[in-house]
Amino acid sequence: MLEREMKRGSAELLILALLEERERHGYDIGKQIEERSDALIKFHITSLYPTLYRLESKGLIEGRWVEKAGQRRRRYYRLTPGGRGTLVRQRSIWQNFAKAINRVAGIKHA
Amino acid sequence: MREWSRHLRDVFASTLLDADIVEELAQHAESKYDELRADGASEHDALAEIDRLIDGWRNDPASLQRVVRRSIAVVPPATSSSILSGTIADAIYGLRLLRAKPGYAAVTILTIALGVGAVTTLFSVAYGVLLRPLPWANADGLIRVSETRGGREGRIPGTMLNSTYLAWAESPQTIASIGAFRETPMTLTGLGDATRLTVSAVTPSMLKMLNVNPDRGRIFTDEEGERGKGRVAMLSRGFWEQRFGARDDAVGQLLTLDGTPYTIVGVLPRDFRFPSAEVQAWVPWYVQPIDGPNGTKSGTIMRVLARLTPGMTAAQAAAEGTSRAMAASDAGFIAMSLFGARDPIAVHVQDAKDAAVADVRPAILALLVAAALLFVTAIANVANMQLARATARQRELTIRAALGAGTARIARQLLLENAIVGVLGSAAGLGLTVALHAALPSLLPTGFPRLDAITIDGRVLAFTLVLSLITTLACGVLPLLHVRRLELARSLADGSAASAGAGRSRLSATRALIVASQVAVTCVLVIGGVILARSFVAQMKADRGYDPANLLTGVIPFPPGYSVERREQAMARILDRMKGHPGLLHVAGGTGLPLVSSGGFSGFSLPSPVRNGQVVDVQTIRRVVTADYFEALGIRLRAGRTLNESDVPGAPVVVVVNRSFVASFLDDIPIERAVGLSLGKDAVRVAKDKVDAIIVGVVDDLKQDRPGDPPQPEMFVSWDQMLGNNYGSQLFIVARTAGDPAPFVEALRTSLREEDPAIPLDAVMTMDQRIGESMSRPRMYATLFVGFAAFALVIAGTGLFGVLAQTVSQRSRELAVRTALGATRLQVIQVALRQMSVAMAAGVVIGLAMSAGLSNQLTPFIYGVSTHDWISFGVAPLVLVIVGTIACVVPARRVAQTDPVQVLRET
Repeated sequence: MLEREMKRGSAELLILALLEERERHGYDIGKQIEERSDALIKFHITSLYPTLYRLESKGLIEGRWVEKAGQRRRRYYRLTPGGRGTLVRQRSIWQNFAKAINRVAGIKHA
Repeated sequence: MREWSRHLRDVFASTLLDADIVEELAQHAESKYDELRADGASEHDALAEIDRLIDGWRNDPASLQRVVRRSIAVVPPATSSSILSGTIADAIYGLRLLRAKPGYAAVTILTIALGVGAVTTLFSVAYGVLLRPLPWANADGLIRVSETRGGREGRIPGTMLNSTYLAWAESPQTIASIGAFRETPMTLTGLGDATRLTVSAVTPSMLKMLNVNPDRGRIFTDEEGERGKGRVAMLSRGFWEQRFGARDDAVGQLLTLDGTPYTIVGVLPRDFRFPSAEVQAWVPWYVQPIDGPNGTKSGTIMRVLARLTPGMTAAQAAAEGTSRAMAASDAGFIAMSLFGARDPIAVHVQDAKDAAVADVRPAILALLVAAALLFVTAIANVANMQLARATARQRELTIRAALGAGTARIARQLLLENAIVGVLGSAAGLGLTVALHAALPSLLPTGFPRLDAITIDGRVLAFTLVLSLITTLACGVLPLLHVRRLELARSLADGSAASAGAGRSRLSATRALIVASQVAVTCVLVIGGVILARSFVAQMKADRGYDPANLLTGVIPFPPGYSVERREQAMARILDRMKGHPGLLHVAGGTGLPLVSSGGFSGFSLPSPVRNGQVVDVQTIRRVVTADYFEALGIRLRAGRTLNESDVPGAPVVVVVNRSFVASFLDDIPIERAVGLSLGKDAVRVAKDKVDAIIVGVVDDLKQDRPGDPPQPEMFVSWDQMLGNNYGSQLFIVARTAGDPAPFVEALRTSLREEDPAIPLDAVMTMDQRIGESMSRPRMYATLFVGFAAFALVIAGTGLFGVLAQTVSQRSRELAVRTALGATRLQVIQVALRQMSVAMAAGVVIGLAMSAGLSNQLTPFIYGVSTHDWISFGVAPLVLVIVGTIACVVPARRVAQTDPVQVLRET
């Protein structure tokens, strides 16, 4: 149960963090996660779109169709003000969580 | 290669997945496929990989749902029993509503701020300059007195002759006291480098009349206003602090002005700015009688203030002044040369404050009206937006009404919401005013009177409060009237939040009316702006009778200790030194310079050379100039020749006159015939001999100050032939350069410094700079008007846009249905477009009519354009149509691009 929640939370955090930089389309988001996590985080690409739609339903991100010259239209997602707030909160939760694990498990930074 | 869209549509055919989502997934699949292939995967492997991806998606189609969120309305407050708590709850609710729509709130508040800021600033200027009492004690009894002769004002308007002043000052009845003042630059030496000070010469009675109390020392005694006893000075607070470090022992020290020592007797308070804020020191003015020794006459024209005896009226004072002036000793030819006529004499009385600001009054009033118009447009826009919002909130309001909220309750809420917007906007407007006030000294043209009287005080604050009240009511009442007409049942039964339902036609008529009025007001402002801008350009381009481009000019105030001879020699050396510079085409000197000094006046009786036996009274500007003066300034010769090297002492005395001279005094004969005529023995007095002066050439008129000024008769006399005559210590130098004159500024300064370091380099400037400076008022009027017009255009444009966009979004459902049924999309909003076009056309017509009535008010400050200039009246409708078209095109495009299916699904 906890594991599932954490996984889900981490996926949301990753997406929000990626959209903080700039707006991106779904394929781009998936690729970025794969590249940046060095495949350490197992992220099922099948769950990308359900996660995006869930975030959109919560009002944390919003998607819109954008037509660029010479390209087909794509659906781009960007962070809403609410999403920005959630991102800040989730980051600090993760930080505290990591600190707590460190304390308990005695992992020391080099 | 797969058709990805079609493939995915087939795959998800049974799952009722949103078309948007299918398309998005198809794009993902396609990108992934391309990537795999680019990485070297075989087609088979790539397709297999994609199929696994699609299978993953197909496993849980329920998770691939997008729920479009409607914005959650701010929860309205519960009905409260107490009025106070209910009001507070409503206010909080209003603030939350604003926060929920930050863009809307920002636009509304900014629009109000702009309108309020413009009007408040102009109000504070108008009040401060035109209405606020002068800062002296009992200022309301102060009057400006002046005289006319033969209906003509003196060379300096609003002045009186010394003979009249002295006759009246002797034993006045209707006035308690009378005093005179003038401003004059003087050279300060003995305190570091020689510098120019702005000094005011005042009669001792003047300071007494203004009830001024010095910060240090004393004011002038009556005795110090007598001949030879006025070697005392008072300092301004600022000058005292800057030059004397605010030391008490400054009083008693000597101040050397124009080479004469003055004993400092006092320091005047900081708020004493008389006659202007620039004055740094005051000296007593000895008013000499008009009758000098040996039958000579010496006339002065003076600015004079007086204080009415309590109980006396201005008319009585004017009557007394006139009789005193007529009883005064005869001013003779002096009156002729200074007024252009001897009599009848009339003394005029004007409120001192009105007199001080007379020349800016029309402009301030016109700008105030313009700002008020801008305010009206801004408020109309906000009202329109509020109305639109009330329509969109119809469902909310209807439900609240149905749940028991009375009309009064809803009215209170709407008014409160508008009050919040009104107050916030007005506060921001006040902030704008404060910011503008800080910038006013640099924004307002040089020499703008009573700058220090422009402040933000209780009156200005009260004015802003009134504006915010007007805003609140204007914006709140329309939605209120609309709410009263709510038809509850229909609005609810309709089911659609978008439908405006009842009263739509009346509503859109109201909004069309608002748009029409905005367009009308904007039209007036645009026309005014274009007229003023064209007038400004016309003045800049106007033919002034000389060529201001590539012209370097300098004012040389020779130290007063210089004898006439020494001045002449110094001038000759300076000119010689300058002539050596390559790049200087002509260098000349003279007693006059356009925009600075006309160079002196001359009045004489001329036995008419064209009508036998007649004597003409000549009053003319007289300039004494070196031969190159005409070429240097670019004055156009029309007949005969200009002055040249052959015009030396001993040679026949020659003059050059302008066209106006010929027109005024030589019966307007053809100018060629004027060449060779004699002006008699009184025209030019060379030393003590009386010889005939001969006209050798006629030049075009030149404009001394503004291009709109009437031409004046002028006479140019040869510098070389006039050697030994005293025509004042201030001389001018003009140099025509081949290119940009700026690099020669330093050369001129150096050559002056080489001559004598005690010569202050008062003002070395290019002629273009002088013209630019002289144009600061027209420039400000034009800039402000054009600015107001631009703002009004933006406001009216957004207003129009708002109405159409609102129409489009409110009726999107209807649009969708009708398009689905085959109507072209534009047909659907045609009604709205047509209505707005009619509103705009009506607005333009009303605006043109209003402008035709109002533009005459601009007459005092325009030049070279008619107040009914057809270009200005043509440009305004054109600009409005362009802005209107832009405002219409965007909503229309949005209609054309909407997908009816999408609209029907979402609404």
